[in-house]
Amino acid sequence: MPNPLTDGVERLAQAVAERVVNLVVEAIDINAVVSRVDVDALIDRVDVEKIVERVDVDAIVARVDVEKIVERIDVNALVARVDIDRIIGQLDIDALVEQTELGAIIAKSTTGVLTEALDLLRSQGVGLDDFFARWTNRILRRDPSTLPPGPPLLVGTDGSPAAPA
Amino acid sequence: MLVPPPSPELTEGRQGHYAGVASRLVAFAIDIGAVWLLYTLGAAAVSLASQLIVGHPLTLGHHQAVAAIVLVGWGFVYFSYQWALSGKTIGMALFGLQVVRADGQPASPRQAVLRTVLLPFSFVLGGIGVVMVLVQRQRRALHDLAAGTAVVYAWDARAARLRWLARKEPATPPQ
Repeated sequence: MPNPLTDGVERLAQAVAERVVNLVVEAIDINAVVSRVDVDALIDRVDVEKIVERVDVDAIVARVDVEKIVERIDVNALVARVDIDRIIGQLDIDALVEQTELGAIIAKSTTGVLTEALDLLRSQGVGLDDFFARWTNRILRRDPSTLPPGPPLLVGTDGSPAAPA
Repeated sequence: MLVPPPSPELTEGRQGHYAGVASRLVAFAIDIGAVWLLYTLGAAAVSLASQLIVGHPLTLGHHQAVAAIVLVGWGFVYFSYQWALSGKTIGMALFGLQVVRADGQPASPRQAVLRTVLLPFSFVLGGIGVVMVLVQRQRRALHDLAAGTAVVYAWDARAARLRWLARKEPATPPQ
């Protein structure tokens, strides 16, 4: 049978206890408490190996919907972050063409004699251009590296090709 | 006959770079030859047509002033039209050269015409305007500076080198 006196006292005691707890919690500086905790020592005491052994990784992986994760990846943004020029720059294209069937494919895909003659003509022209430029720079005591390689829109500031002319 | 491939220093990465004096002068000489050849063929065709139509040939050689005007006019059309159209004349296309604006954009028709009009001035006074291709930092001749143009290499030199390498007998393919 309920006793109104004791019930009232219990409710009062309960309210007082809750209020005290709230006041204590508000008064505690959690950051200060955490800063005093030696996390390293705590971790040292945890047997991670034992925890890992108890984890059923296969079951976790089985629950992962890889397709859904892949769908959420912005492949375009990922590709945009890849420096393809740098990757290609690391390839030894000369060796690739010389030592693989790629060379034969390129040779077959280009018209022989005329292309060869044009390539020869142009590279000889570039060679002569360089010869004259070299001597002019010597006579004028000019450092070739200080000369602009080409128009700004066609070559980068470092002299790297920007776009075909 | 297979000639050795050009060194990478000579070819790779030259696309868009300022072209040098040798390539430009040889290309120009080819263009002068082309202008003369086409003029001669045209004059012969006109003479033949005159023979067929009016019964006697019209020989421009007998009217030197007219011949000179026609030749200069034809030369003007030859250079200005091709530069306005693609930035390349026949000679320049052979050597992989292209006329562009000083900043690298395609040359405008106005610049092409201006460049053609000013071209002869680069050859007067001992060719001082052409010597500027050697000494000017951007390898621009007098007519380039006046017209706001530059001449660049426009051929894919890297592809040329790869073609050269490709013509060599491939080594034993990797297993």
